[in-house]
Amino acid sequence: MDPIISLNLIDYLILAAYVVITIVVGYALKKYMKTSEDFFLSGRSLPSWITSLAFLSANLGALEVIGMVANSAKYGILTVHFYWIGAIPAMVFLGIFMMPFYYNTRVRSVPEYLKLRYNEATRGLNAFSFAIMTLLMSGISMYAMALIFRMMLGWSLTASILLSAGVVLIYVFFGGLSSSIYNEVIQFFLIWLGLLPAVYVGLKAVGGFSGLAAKLPDTFLHAWKNMGSAAANPMGVDWMGVVLGLGFVLSFGYWTTDFLVVQRTLASENINAARRTPIMAAFPKMLVPLIVVVPGLIAVAILPEYSVALQGSATPDYNSALILLLAHYLPNGVLGLAITGLLASFMSGMAGNVTAFNTVWTYDIYGTYIKKNMPDEHYLMMGKLATIFGVLFSIGTAYIVQSFPNLMDYMQLIFSFFNAPLFATFLLGMFWKKATPWGGFFGLLSGIVAAASHYLLYKLNVIHYSSEMAANFFQAWWAWLTDFVVTIVVSLFTRKKAESELKGLVYSLTPRTKGSEMFWRRPEVWGSVALIVMVILNIIFW
Amino acid sequence: MAEKKSGSHFFDLKIPLGSLLSFYGLILVLYGLFGPRRIYEKSLGLNVNLIWGVVIMVVGALFLGFAHFRRRASN
Repeated sequence: MDPIISLNLIDYLILAAYVVITIVVGYALKKYMKTSEDFFLSGRSLPSWITSLAFLSANLGALEVIGMVANSAKYGILTVHFYWIGAIPAMVFLGIFMMPFYYNTRVRSVPEYLKLRYNEATRGLNAFSFAIMTLLMSGISMYAMALIFRMMLGWSLTASILLSAGVVLIYVFFGGLSSSIYNEVIQFFLIWLGLLPAVYVGLKAVGGFSGLAAKLPDTFLHAWKNMGSAAANPMGVDWMGVVLGLGFVLSFGYWTTDFLVVQRTLASENINAARRTPIMAAFPKMLVPLIVVVPGLIAVAILPEYSVALQGSATPDYNSALILLLAHYLPNGVLGLAITGLLASFMSGMAGNVTAFNTVWTYDIYGTYIKKNMPDEHYLMMGKLATIFGVLFSIGTAYIVQSFPNLMDYMQLIFSFFNAPLFATFLLGMFWKKATPWGGFFGLLSGIVAAASHYLLYKLNVIHYSSEMAANFFQAWWAWLTDFVVTIVVSLFTRKKAESELKGLVYSLTPRTKGSEMFWRRPEVWGSVALIVMVILNIIFW
Repeated sequence: MAEKKSGSHFFDLKIPLGSLLSFYGLILVLYGLFGPRRIYEKSLGLNVNLIWGVVIMVVGALFLGFAHFRRRASN
């Protein structure tokens, strides 16, 4: 099959300039890496504009962008739920309520908080599952990305894998989390600058927003109007599934407990910057639909292979929607910029996985179970070794998945079991001082089991949902509820931690410091503004 | 800014970011001015490379400008 896009000299020049600058930035950071905290947490010294953009970009990887454009071509404006209700409340909650516990306790990772608040077993359960999942995930996305580059540009799988893994290895090895964060900021600008021209030309071709709306069915144009019943909208989910499953459990679980994103806030220079990080990220987050939902809608309106699918007569390959659109509207030059944006966002996604892995591995696994109390240089060196090992393991995973493509679905399935319940453990840990160590452990464990059992019952046709997505959303909800209830019940019968040990870890045992800042710099104020803007957007696109 | 610590721990990201974007802007503008015209049939006759190149150059220059301004302010 011929590649969809052919690049020429100018496009390759743009691509090469990006690769060179990332390596230069990584290498220039090398001399600042003196302690393990410099390497794993950027010495807790970054300003909030940088950490906010990195926080946002960590979730704007190429596969997310391509996948969300595909969702928009399939479901229309409903896709905004992943960006608004499925992100903003959780980000604001993290900034206002949870950040003080993460930042002020000086924990270095999410599992470490679980150790302080609950016990070693709870930390272990989270640290091991997170470390393994992160590496497997990075291998899976490397393979998925290589497939896309083959379809798009005709590159061989091995060429894509080695190029991206090689560059990521070099810059993370030298600069640690700082390299990763700096690259995420660069990526943020490249993906916007790369995709906006296609959005503009595409909109011009369909006659602006009103022309676009005229070409699409009514169900594609409303975010809530058709959510009354699952049968009435293309996504096959009702409003309760969206609010409970996506808006509450999945979103809060991801944005507030996934170490990959939380690590960016820990790199902030002080507590106020840390609290502002997710809240400031909420504003650009709300605009992301402009570069993912709009292209999806344009693809349906313009490209014949997607418009016929509206009549239900065909199932096109939605994952190529973005690439076909870029090929359709962008001349060489800006085309190279768009491809560079995609490659950059892919690499920074992988770097994010690698840095989150090397931190959890070094602090929570190696430093806890293998070699305790070594001098700091030892852990710094281990972090660098873990970077090499992590990248090699990801490459290995990519090749294994290539030979057994079904593995990919199973792995993603297993990840969803582990992720869903975690937010219940954190919520009770931070806001209910009576939650006990073993309550936390068994709550988390039973939440994971509940997710797995729910999946089995669904596959055996014991429970029914109108769509795969609805099943996902409700699986998350039941896993969360199980964790929540079991943690409370077990806590009533097991030994509590002394209150003195919980100081600073639980809301009611943490002295509240009155913010000395001017009112327009306070996270509470900006968090409220973000929520109001989100509500207005939802009303506009109702 | 009461909460400011002793300046950023690392070098200023605005410099490499601004340089990269300025470079992109420059080569897109040059390509738009001197490159082939036929390729703009795709973009409805719009010389996207020229227009967008100018925009990117401005963004890049802003970053470099801010970095320069800050460095002078801190000296």
